[in-house]
Amino acid sequence: MLKIRIMPTLLFKDLGLVKGKGFDSWRRVGSVMQSIKVYNMREVDELIFLDISATDEGRRPDFVAIDELADECFMPLTVGGGVRALEDFEQLLKVGADKVAINTAAVEQMDLIAEAARTFGSQCVVVSIDARRVSQGKFRVFTHSGKILVDIGPVELARRSEQSGAGEILLTSIDRDGTMEGYDIDLIREVAGSVSVPVIASGGAGTYEDFVKAIEVGKASAVAAASIFHFTHQTPLGAKQFLASRGYEVRL
Amino acid sequence: MQCTSSQNPNNERSEEMIRYIKYCRRCVMPETKPDLLIDGEGVCSACRYYEHRKAVDWKKRGEELASILERFRSKSGDHYDCIIPVSGGKDSTFQTIRMLELGMNPLCVTATTDRLSTIGRKNIENLKNLGVDYIEVSTNPVVRRRINRIALTQIGDVSWPEHVAIFTIPVRIAVQLKVPLIIWGENSQNEYGGPAGDAQNNTLTRQWLEEFGGLLGLRVSDLIGQDGIKRSDLIQFFYPEDSELRRVGVTGLFLGYYLPWDGYQNALIAQASGFTSYHKTVEGSIVNYENLDNCQTGIHDYFKFLKYAFGRATDLACLHIRRQRLSREDAMNLVKAHDGKFPNQYLDCTLNDILDDIGMSMEEFVNVCDRFTNKKLFQCDTRGNLIKDRSGNLTKINYDNVVDEDRRDS
Amino acid sequence: MLSMKTVAIVDYGVSNIDSVRRAIEECGAHPIVTSSFRDLEKASHIILPGVGSFPVAMRNLRERRIVESLKEQVVAKKIPFLGICLGMQLLAATGEEGETTEGLSFISGTVRKFQPLSQDYRIPHIGWNSVIVVRDNPLFRNIDPASNFYFVHSYHLDCSNSEDVVARTPYCGEFVSSVMRDNVFGTQFHPEKSQKNGFQLLRNFLSI
Repeated sequence: MLKIRIMPTLLFKDLGLVKGKGFDSWRRVGSVMQSIKVYNMREVDELIFLDISATDEGRRPDFVAIDELADECFMPLTVGGGVRALEDFEQLLKVGADKVAINTAAVEQMDLIAEAARTFGSQCVVVSIDARRVSQGKFRVFTHSGKILVDIGPVELARRSEQSGAGEILLTSIDRDGTMEGYDIDLIREVAGSVSVPVIASGGAGTYEDFVKAIEVGKASAVAAASIFHFTHQTPLGAKQFLASRGYEVRL
Repeated sequence: MQCTSSQNPNNERSEEMIRYIKYCRRCVMPETKPDLLIDGEGVCSACRYYEHRKAVDWKKRGEELASILERFRSKSGDHYDCIIPVSGGKDSTFQTIRMLELGMNPLCVTATTDRLSTIGRKNIENLKNLGVDYIEVSTNPVVRRRINRIALTQIGDVSWPEHVAIFTIPVRIAVQLKVPLIIWGENSQNEYGGPAGDAQNNTLTRQWLEEFGGLLGLRVSDLIGQDGIKRSDLIQFFYPEDSELRRVGVTGLFLGYYLPWDGYQNALIAQASGFTSYHKTVEGSIVNYENLDNCQTGIHDYFKFLKYAFGRATDLACLHIRRQRLSREDAMNLVKAHDGKFPNQYLDCTLNDILDDIGMSMEEFVNVCDRFTNKKLFQCDTRGNLIKDRSGNLTKINYDNVVDEDRRDS
Repeated sequence: MLSMKTVAIVDYGVSNIDSVRRAIEECGAHPIVTSSFRDLEKASHIILPGVGSFPVAMRNLRERRIVESLKEQVVAKKIPFLGICLGMQLLAATGEEGETTEGLSFISGTVRKFQPLSQDYRIPHIGWNSVIVVRDNPLFRNIDPASNFYFVHSYHLDCSNSEDVVARTPYCGEFVSSVMRDNVFGTQFHPEKSQKNGFQLLRNFLSI
């Protein structure tokens, strides 16, 4: 059986790793190399690395830096941040990324999804969707690291992305991000229920029980988390043991 | 290993694209320090926190301390009143002096350091002679050397095992000997700036340890299976379970919350009681009165510099600026002269001595250094390689704020 | 001695080569990323990595004239050859992705897209899944018989001959996750991303 994946997320801003709350109040955490090596040691299922200042700064991905990191990363790696062109996909895959995530470009350059899927295969294309609740039961997508409101809902964007050839959706609740108060289960359930590609839940995990909810109720195929692993004694392994004890298939 | 660069065909770093390091306008700490925040006025959280210190009612805090100590003082005299984790350094010597003055009967506990220097041993003896019972717990040195090597290569911190030991062993002793009160020195998050909530915190909980105890995400359990290390090798490194802590009622407190903590002041008081400082400025630092016990500290400080572009000299300069003993300009000069020097020598030991201990060649060591260097923070040549001087020293891209503010967002 | 082995990793323009190269390095062997016949000739082992689309991949292989070189080394000289993910699919006679394309034809079969049995089966198949070994073979020595490896794909190789099948994995029914025919090996999963088990498999391959 296909196992549930637990995926630590590393957020890179300007000069180093950060964590935030609601995509704000960014706080510096340890060095990237250190984090990659620790997770490698822990044999985590998969790692996500996002350069969240790239698009803001009008920068492309830092291929040289990512090359260095990927060299130390012997587990599946998804890289995102500042990806705007097919060449970016090519370079990232070349330097060691297994999957490439696009966020702002998925909204502003929908064709890129199809182009990338055609050239590299759907399985390399992850569309990263950041969403906020804007009113009762209504969600809207934000680009540019949560700064710009787009008048499209996450469900619609997810559907369109799948149709264009995206292989996976990384879905983040901006409101919940960094709060450790739990995922936005409604958001996950709505999006996961509307597509047939895997959906990765992100934003808000604080306890192992949150992972269970995301999978059981939200129907996520994988769960991404950052704060819970940086700042508590809970670990990806502990999470998997917890899930296993509840009858879920995980890799132990 | 290449430096980061903008995307131009020659792989040269274009001036436009360099993201300069921001520094606090008051002290000289860079924004890259984990957990530090530089606010809209360009002042860092540590400086802001120090501002609040002026408003603190120290008399009240002193009374709080006295009442806590009274609660834990053994009435029958057949139990220690508290445990003081000590290294023999200026701070732990000061803590011991204070506790004795306050009428406590402490048990001093040392988690043996890796390569104890001559002066370090002398200061431990001096501490004992203040008049205290003393326990030293040493971990298996053969295994310790392997752990040091793993810590250096895996997370770029040769002192990781030492930090774990310092924060764990006294707590284990507290549980084992049923001495609930542990008197720590300062909450590093206070002075060095951390998330505000935690700077208010005055007890050392397991969560603090995980988040701020310098564990860098690595856990003791991660070591099992590496380089032949077994669970049975790591007994002294495992923090007691919450249930055990509750059973004994273990409470740790930071002395630095209850009195206006100042390292230099501690040094003066300690020296008056026989503490010896080094005969010259310690390598990579700007003072001679601290970090005198472990010869590996030079490597630890160096890696901090490689990752975050600041070392021990910066830390100390900032402390003294806040207390108005140094002007920012003088501090900047001191930092430029001493910070982040390649650690060829530290106290009694050469780098080769330490590398021999952990079975690493100089070449391997330099590779590890390069791997952990955040190349966005240092000067590189046109091919993207780190520029090093004859002694292997790096140069930062900027040592102070770059005036053109408009180019960067906050 | 693995350090004596020169491993050619085929560079054909659309694949994730660096992780395979790094993994071979970690195993102690000497990797060369190449598309030149001369390098392929000198190699003790050849790996065809894989991320991309079948028709584009075959076109690239043909354009770089790699197909003949591979046939020479693999079929004629019987150099140990490992196809990973798309690389394994390319071993097939026919690919179905996009258009019907002729593959390398080292293993007979057709590449097909997954047909989900229900909404619970999401495509692409991404993540860790059990690889159940059904036949004795050198690739899986010292690896537990139903170990997890990392998959990321939407297509799989439907083998015509069951003797070529080394392992199967449960998803949308069951599909072939590893093949072997003489000196030709294939894994649908990524050993270079499958940590301990993956590295063991690569070492096993390099020892052939």
